[in-house]
Amino acid sequence: MSDFLELIVSAAASGCVYGLVALAYLLITRPTGIINFGVGEWATVAAFGAYVALSRVELPYALSIALVAALMLAVGWLTERLTVRPLVVRGAPPLAPVLALLGMLVVVRELVSLGFGPDPQPVPPAFGFGRLELGPLAGSYQSFFIIAVAAVVFASAWYFFERTLAGKSFEAVALDRRAAALMGINLSRVTALSFAAGAVVAGLAGLLVAPNVSAHYLMGMPLAIQGFTALVIGGASRVEGALLGGLILAVAEQFTVRYAPVPPGLAMGVPLVLLIVFLLVRPAGLLRPREARA
Amino acid sequence: MKTALPRACCRAVLALAAATLAAAPAWAQPIRIGVITDKVGPAKPYAEPVTAGAVFAAKELNAQGGILGRPVELLIEDDQARPDISATAARKLVDAGVTFILSMSLTPSTQQVQTVTLETRTPQLTPSNSGDTLTTQIDNPYFWQTGPLGSTQIATLLAYAANKNFKRVALVGENSDLGQLTNRSFKAGLEKTGVQIVAEEMVPRGSTTADPQMQKVRAAKPEAIFLTGVTTPENVLILRSYRQLGLKMPVLGNFNLSVPQTAVVAKGLLDGVVFVDAFDPAKPQARRFIEAYKKENGVEPYNLNGYGYDGVMLVADAIKRAGGTDKEKVRAAMQATRGYVGVLGAAGSSYGFAEGKRTGFDPNGMVVRVYEGDKQGKVVFSGAQ
Amino acid sequence: MKTVLSYLAAAVALSAIAFLLGAYQTDVYRKLLLWIALAISYNFLFGISGQIAFSHFSFYGIGAYTIVILITQAGLPLPLAVLATVAVCVALALVVAIPATRLEGFYLALATLAFAQLFIVVLNEGGSITGGTGGLASYRLPEILGVRVAGPWYTVVIVVLMLATLAIVGRLDRSWFGRACRAVRDNPEAAAAMGVNVRRTKIIAYTITSALAGVAGMVYAFVDNTVNPHIFGLENAFLLLFMVIVGGSGRMAGAILGAVLLYVMPFVLSPLIGHHHALVFGIFMVLAVLFQPRGLIGLWDRWQRRRRQPPAPRPQIAKGEAVKREGLA
Repeated sequence: MSDFLELIVSAAASGCVYGLVALAYLLITRPTGIINFGVGEWATVAAFGAYVALSRVELPYALSIALVAALMLAVGWLTERLTVRPLVVRGAPPLAPVLALLGMLVVVRELVSLGFGPDPQPVPPAFGFGRLELGPLAGSYQSFFIIAVAAVVFASAWYFFERTLAGKSFEAVALDRRAAALMGINLSRVTALSFAAGAVVAGLAGLLVAPNVSAHYLMGMPLAIQGFTALVIGGASRVEGALLGGLILAVAEQFTVRYAPVPPGLAMGVPLVLLIVFLLVRPAGLLRPREARA
Repeated sequence: MKTALPRACCRAVLALAAATLAAAPAWAQPIRIGVITDKVGPAKPYAEPVTAGAVFAAKELNAQGGILGRPVELLIEDDQARPDISATAARKLVDAGVTFILSMSLTPSTQQVQTVTLETRTPQLTPSNSGDTLTTQIDNPYFWQTGPLGSTQIATLLAYAANKNFKRVALVGENSDLGQLTNRSFKAGLEKTGVQIVAEEMVPRGSTTADPQMQKVRAAKPEAIFLTGVTTPENVLILRSYRQLGLKMPVLGNFNLSVPQTAVVAKGLLDGVVFVDAFDPAKPQARRFIEAYKKENGVEPYNLNGYGYDGVMLVADAIKRAGGTDKEKVRAAMQATRGYVGVLGAAGSSYGFAEGKRTGFDPNGMVVRVYEGDKQGKVVFSGAQ
Repeated sequence: MKTVLSYLAAAVALSAIAFLLGAYQTDVYRKLLLWIALAISYNFLFGISGQIAFSHFSFYGIGAYTIVILITQAGLPLPLAVLATVAVCVALALVVAIPATRLEGFYLALATLAFAQLFIVVLNEGGSITGGTGGLASYRLPEILGVRVAGPWYTVVIVVLMLATLAIVGRLDRSWFGRACRAVRDNPEAAAAMGVNVRRTKIIAYTITSALAGVAGMVYAFVDNTVNPHIFGLENAFLLLFMVIVGGSGRMAGAILGAVLLYVMPFVLSPLIGHHHALVFGIFMVLAVLFQPRGLIGLWDRWQRRRRQPPAPRPQIAKGEAVKREGLA
């Protein structure tokens, strides 16, 4: 039983990481319709940023997070400016920015690998890995930290989209670009902001997961795929969907490994099969998009 | 008088010609050795330092006059860890006239190159790959492997642990090609000695935690855990879960735990972990290598550099004994290698290819060390007896 | 408009090259032809039929593994093995197509991505049938009637494969089926309203193109005489996508251009730039998409147009014509 409870914490932490990556996708996809597979590489950049700030320069943790967040804001904004805006302005086919971003994925990964070398680097955790027991649940400090940070981020995102005017304008752009523009919403600013915000969220995911897996130049791709899977499961229409999708994916992965009587090699196939079945049975995700209010 | 002058002239001319020929190294045909490495893919963390060791060896050889008076030229190709590109790169090297090909990239790449080296009868050596199947899957008399085999690693670990009498153990690894191969070698070695494997877990690459796998291990209550993973991020996950879940049984790891970067990333997780290594820094050859490498490159070398160095030196030795670059003679000379003491290997061990075998790493050539804190401790056991 | 004659001429020309090349160049040439064949069939699936699938390269692998297994383990003679492999590829493609074509856009992408990963897992766990992580090796193309096709003659086989793929896909492209595929891609409801069976069209397109990929894989198996899971991994699936996009999706010439460019580029870059070549490759792709979002084939089109236009048009007409030409490329 204690295994089960400990696994819940571990799966929740992993699920939050996946959810954050899914949120990064969502923040960009909703207003612009562009799917940026490069969110994984953004996570990698942030992980290395954290490595430099925390392991090399040894700044205090809060300051490091702030610096990395600022870095990711710049990276996101720059990515949009360089690879997306020229295409949108020129009326390119909708797939074009996705592909340009895929190219950027390769560029970023190579830059990281050339700049830092192929070896994985350590990123210290916020409060160490000591064991924390909260009632019946137990896990490492880092796991609870991840859950806490993700909760804050998702709560803020939800509040932003549900209760603030700026957030509503994002929704408006998502629903109908032309109408939104006609209502006076600055489309290019929304796009730039969505990329910047997506980069920060993806960066957070990288920074939170790196103490566990280390910062290495190949960490982006698996995160990108897992985040995308989470997005599909939860539904790409609501912020809560991203988190829900991430949690479901992590629980499915980890509980299958722990409890299903499947040999280890094949156990890897189980989440894949689940995903395929899920896609066939309910492709729109679990959470339906909100109906337009009068 | 009349005949003496022309004869003296003849002798002078002959002497001059002889002197010119003796000075030929400056204009001699270089000996080309091909190197296939990975510069951009997942094998890079291993391929890069191995190649650096090879480059250093070539430099050292040339500083001492080359092989048979001819300079050594390394032709380095990048296969991007893609086996089909590896095969193409091998053909390019063969066309460029290399005498030997060194494979430093992934195990499947090395294997794919074998189809080329078999077809073109070009000698090929992998100094670092440790997969046991490389010499068995294709019957290629032109291919040798001097990396520390998975079977050698487990034999060494088992010999070290013989007095502990493990009866029930767990195997934990990840799903890379080499990881799975190592897992299979370890499993075979354990089953041969009648040890029961109560848990066999695999952490997929890209996982964010190894908790579910380690929980299963904990539930199976093994007496020891054999670590067969070769990628550092997954090994860190495994070791972290091990600590988190309060596991206490001994951990015995494969030689990938000997790579120094592991200690940098897995800080605080390695104390007491047992691992096999091919590097005994106290060995005189190793000491000399460390000093010379440090002087040339400014950084201290580690075991991976040693593989590349030994690889080039073994090839050079074979070419010397063959007396030239004729591929058939080099092949015979390479197969005849016996008792070659390189940088790597326990004190008293040597490289050699026993009759008909093409794996050259001494079965007693590995050492066992234990992590003390984050530092790699001294050698505590040597060989596989 | 290619006639039988021009196909024959192309076959002869491309085959003649095979006899002039050294071993390394032959290897590059063969793989280039195979990538071109793959790009052409993928272009039909992705560009013309509008299905974003990452399973194409997996079918390449299915074809390769199947023929090797049939020859080495089932001991079938070559002609029978070839037929059986084609049948297996078509059957598997159909089995995957039926559920897959229910999905749209990025859902299809994700499902086929999962399928591609699943394929690798199955290969790794296939024990002695698939050779596990090491794959299968130590086999050769069996003899037919005492003759073993090897060397430049095998390259001719690959040339024929590539041209056959080109012919089949080209024919489909220009036929009513191609138009139906395009209609389904652009507006499924309108297509259905016009009487096109959307579902069946997509299934047929997926099955045919995947089967073509499988046949190419069958031929590939004897190029390196090795098959292992690593060759058929995800990176190649992405590379195929890039080839088609960068070249110009929806146009066969674009697919060919993209395949040639992206396959040859690392070979050219590597000696020049050493280990930064992947970075240059990435930058090139970004720039290519930025400046020619509809594919580099657009540059070729522009050059063709410029060649055909009269040298110095009069000012007023020039402005009008320039505006018309500057329109959506």
